[in-house]
Amino acid sequence: MTKHSDEGTLFSSKKFTDWPTVKEALISKEIGGVFILAPLAMQLVADGIPIKVVYLGHRDGTGIVVGKDSPINDFGDLRGKTVAIPSRYANQNILMHRMMDQWGMPYDSIDLREVPPPEHPTALRAGAIDAYIVGEPFAAKAEVDGFGRVLYHTKDIWPEFISCVMVVRQDLIDERRELVQEMIDGIAKSGKWLDEDMEHRMDAAEVTAKNYYFQPPELLKYVLSKPEDRVKYTNLAPMREDFDEIMELAFKIGVLSRRVAFKEYADDSFVRPLDQIDWNMDRLPRGEAAR
Amino acid sequence: MKRKVGIGMLLWALLITLSHIQLNLGWDTIWKKFAVMTGEQREELVIGFLPVT
Repeated sequence: MTKHSDEGTLFSSKKFTDWPTVKEALISKEIGGVFILAPLAMQLVADGIPIKVVYLGHRDGTGIVVGKDSPINDFGDLRGKTVAIPSRYANQNILMHRMMDQWGMPYDSIDLREVPPPEHPTALRAGAIDAYIVGEPFAAKAEVDGFGRVLYHTKDIWPEFISCVMVVRQDLIDERRELVQEMIDGIAKSGKWLDEDMEHRMDAAEVTAKNYYFQPPELLKYVLSKPEDRVKYTNLAPMREDFDEIMELAFKIGVLSRRVAFKEYADDSFVRPLDQIDWNMDRLPRGEAAR
Repeated sequence: MKRKVGIGMLLWALLITLSHIQLNLGWDTIWKKFAVMTGEQREELVIGFLPVT
């Protein structure tokens, strides 16, 4: 571990509700980093914002959801339908276009509408949309509340799907490298801990439901267990081939204003094999960090 | 006269410096950095998130 672990650096979180405010917070250095949509991170770099993707938030954890009694049974049935996406800069938007390519459907065959993620389930329930694609826990919410069903989990249509990535300001990478390393090691350790035991996932659901997601713990427990590989927290290194595919698709459909090379927006030098990381959770400043 | 001008310049420089700290840095940031340097407070890194995976 770095010297900062011995000092006990405090990593605190700040909740945002929209992406433009996140961008401003990065520029003004109000935050050191953020979990952000992968294509949005690329576009911010294309816009000249000095940030780098240093790690992933998770793998998979997205679903295409339709009404419980909907006649939609496969992707082809979405032709002519209205589907909500979280943002045009979301990888969920890229996935919809990737699927349309695979199914030989023109891009205008589905009416994709940007809707804030928390509003996806209510829009489906109200009949304003025919389906939605979103990150958890909002895919599971329609299932748990009994009015929706998952048409596809991303693990089944784009395995190891990337949604949110961890980006850090370039000046922190240049000047406070040990701090960034400490944070990445912490995320890696948390992910390993989550994926090694279902009891750990249930504990995490209790804590994050109250403090971060502001959702019922039962919903997060459902997300983390049904099925168990619905969302994964290991294999979080940013891989060039994954990002190249996202970048090319994003550029093709006009989400990115220009092609961005992997090295321009990503720095994978903080990734360390888990067996090289000090695995002593008791050393974390749990009391302070929980405040 | 020279003394008055000197004191005036010093006061002006002090005023500009304090205004700069107030407007561009913020006293909270300064106090936090000082507290981290002296070991009274843990270093803090703020990470943003939206409550969706």
